[in-house]
Amino acid sequence: MRETLRALGICILGVTVLGLWLGAGKPASVLGLFIVSGLAVGSLYALGGVGLVVLYRATGVLNLAAGATGMVAVFAAWQLQDRGVLAPLAWGAGLAVALVLALGYGRFIAARMAWREPVVKAVASLGFALMLLGLVSFLFSDDPRKFELPTDKAAVMILGLRVTVTRLLLIGATVGLVIGIGLLLERSRIGLQMRALANNRRISSLIGVPILRVETMAWGLSGLLSGFTGLMFGDLVRLEPAVITFLVIPCIAAAICGRLASLPLVLIGGMTMGVVESLLTLSQPLKDLRPMAPYVIAALVLLAMNRGRALTFAGEE
Amino acid sequence: MTMRVLRKGSLKTAAMFGAGMIALAASGGAGMAAVSCGANTGQAATGAPVKVGGIFGNAAPGDFSASTTAARAYFDCVNANGGLNGRPIQYLTENDQWNPELAAQAASKLLKDEKVVAMVGNGSFVEMAVNAPTYKAEGVMTMASACAVSECFESPNIVSTNQGPLPSTVGAAQYMVEEKGSKNVSCIGLAIPDVGPWSCGAMEGYMASKGLAGSSVLLNPASPDVNSALLEAVGSGADTILVNLPAGLAIAFLKAAEEQGMGDSYQWASSTPLYDRTVPEALGAYWDGKMYVNAEMTPWDKGGPDAVNWLAVMDAYAPKEAARDSFSQSGYLSAKIFVDAMLALDPATLDDRAAVTAAITAIKGVTSDLMCGPYYVGEADRHMPNHAGTMVVVKGGGFETVRDCYEYDSPYFAPIFEQEKALGLR
Repeated sequence: MRETLRALGICILGVTVLGLWLGAGKPASVLGLFIVSGLAVGSLYALGGVGLVVLYRATGVLNLAAGATGMVAVFAAWQLQDRGVLAPLAWGAGLAVALVLALGYGRFIAARMAWREPVVKAVASLGFALMLLGLVSFLFSDDPRKFELPTDKAAVMILGLRVTVTRLLLIGATVGLVIGIGLLLERSRIGLQMRALANNRRISSLIGVPILRVETMAWGLSGLLSGFTGLMFGDLVRLEPAVITFLVIPCIAAAICGRLASLPLVLIGGMTMGVVESLLTLSQPLKDLRPMAPYVIAALVLLAMNRGRALTFAGEE
Repeated sequence: MTMRVLRKGSLKTAAMFGAGMIALAASGGAGMAAVSCGANTGQAATGAPVKVGGIFGNAAPGDFSASTTAARAYFDCVNANGGLNGRPIQYLTENDQWNPELAAQAASKLLKDEKVVAMVGNGSFVEMAVNAPTYKAEGVMTMASACAVSECFESPNIVSTNQGPLPSTVGAAQYMVEEKGSKNVSCIGLAIPDVGPWSCGAMEGYMASKGLAGSSVLLNPASPDVNSALLEAVGSGADTILVNLPAGLAIAFLKAAEEQGMGDSYQWASSTPLYDRTVPEALGAYWDGKMYVNAEMTPWDKGGPDAVNWLAVMDAYAPKEAARDSFSQSGYLSAKIFVDAMLALDPATLDDRAAVTAAITAIKGVTSDLMCGPYYVGEADRHMPNHAGTMVVVKGGGFETVRDCYEYDSPYFAPIFEQEKALGLR
């Protein structure tokens, strides 16, 4: 908790200094617009990061196919809605598709690589992502299309920016998921088993943790999170297969801010990235560096985390 | 799900699987179609083929194959109607898949291995930037149809029928200034050096030449955040926001503007990518009557001999699902102008690349109802024959013409106008 509060303080301080520097001479209302806009984007990074961390904590797999799974979900939902299927049913079907994809991969592919190195597991999931991207790009023409939710139409004014209910829903859902999943992992038996599995798979199996069941649950939860993230990305970013698939990359940066372990830190990291990226727009020379912001922040976090630690090629000593 | 989707026709699958069958069926029934192609003899060409190449880009995130598809349809029609003095055109196309290495390989294969005499109908974001020096070195002329980067318009051996983003952006700004009283235009472009800064920069030049204000907001195509670009445009003090983005990104940008309720607070215009049949539905009713779009070719429903023949050729010789859009118009027109030039050429020199290049270079003053101005090539270090267009507004789920053919006016076009004077076209 102390670490989370300290990180929150550092991030707020950093963002404030950056805002005052880049926003010097500009009205506070303009600065407010960029901060609120950045929080909306940051919550997308954080939501994606939360999904990655949940699965990583339980299975040790950094799932690079999370974006692609969400992308398939939102395209399925769009296609069904376009065919006249009732919107909630289409969203549900999208989530179901993501669930099936994640469970299928987790049960039939990831399970066979359980003893391989983390990097092999991650690269395998990248292969799965590229397969899904190729399939959707083949099936769907590149006609412009838009995925909308009813909550897009309602909005409230925050610091002069009109924020739609969808964005508020996203921020609320991200915070809610961080708290809910955090409690699940910390307080429930299945959460304990997930943590045990991530910590040491061999010992977990020896002490009787039902590995298959726990991993299946983790993949299922991850699939639902990916599906929800995909629906949000499709609505709030744009309905393009490659864009949604590769949004997983800044989400990984957010996950790294939480050291692939702490959900509150992922939330703080993701939000900070979004706000910093948005604030950089205010500077003519720096605005071209905006896409780098998540990775620079993640690199700084990694450097800060490893201060005083001795690292070797074999791992940490 | 796949089969249901196939029936909807929103997928590429049908086009890919159906292409061969439809082409076969079309070749059998060519004489039945009310089409006019080449020598129009009604007799299939049977001589030794004349090799012509084409490169298109088709992979995520975009498909520029409409131009080569239309060119192929026209060539098939020509082959069924006497070909080039009895010789059929063998149209060899390659997909660069937006990969510079593949683009270079495709050009090498077509120019060095297949020894094509000309390139026709090219459509890509990538291949022109990569291959422009190769075309010059190989002495081949490329009659492109779907260009988007500066190299396509500022190279000696490439001439495109379509306008690309620069003229279309200037044309849209010009309409907004002349008809809507815009004083300060912010251009939202892609942060790709030969695309966004080039085209939005020319728009700024146009505004400055009129004593008005113009600015550019460049958007990283990979960035999920379009809100910041919108806020930046608002911060520039613009009264008009000109969207110069691929359709998918433009729709995301306009959705962010809709979220902010900015539809009525600003005037809105776009370059040609939003002139697409699927755009009005994707934009929704909110933008009805608000979004003014520049069309680089004449509107699909304008009519005229070439417009009618283009659709008839597409119906008879192209896959049913093939796009009937601006790139398709442009591909058809490039192919038609090429065939007309080759029919006037000494048949004995049809395999001589230098003679074919000279014949293409000599093209001038060709008119068509698909283009607002005359098409020409000429010897020059740059080619941009198409710099006049039409302005439409999104209306009632489609488009409505608000200003018919008008020529664009910008300092950028000064050397082009000089070329036209030298060719006696001005």
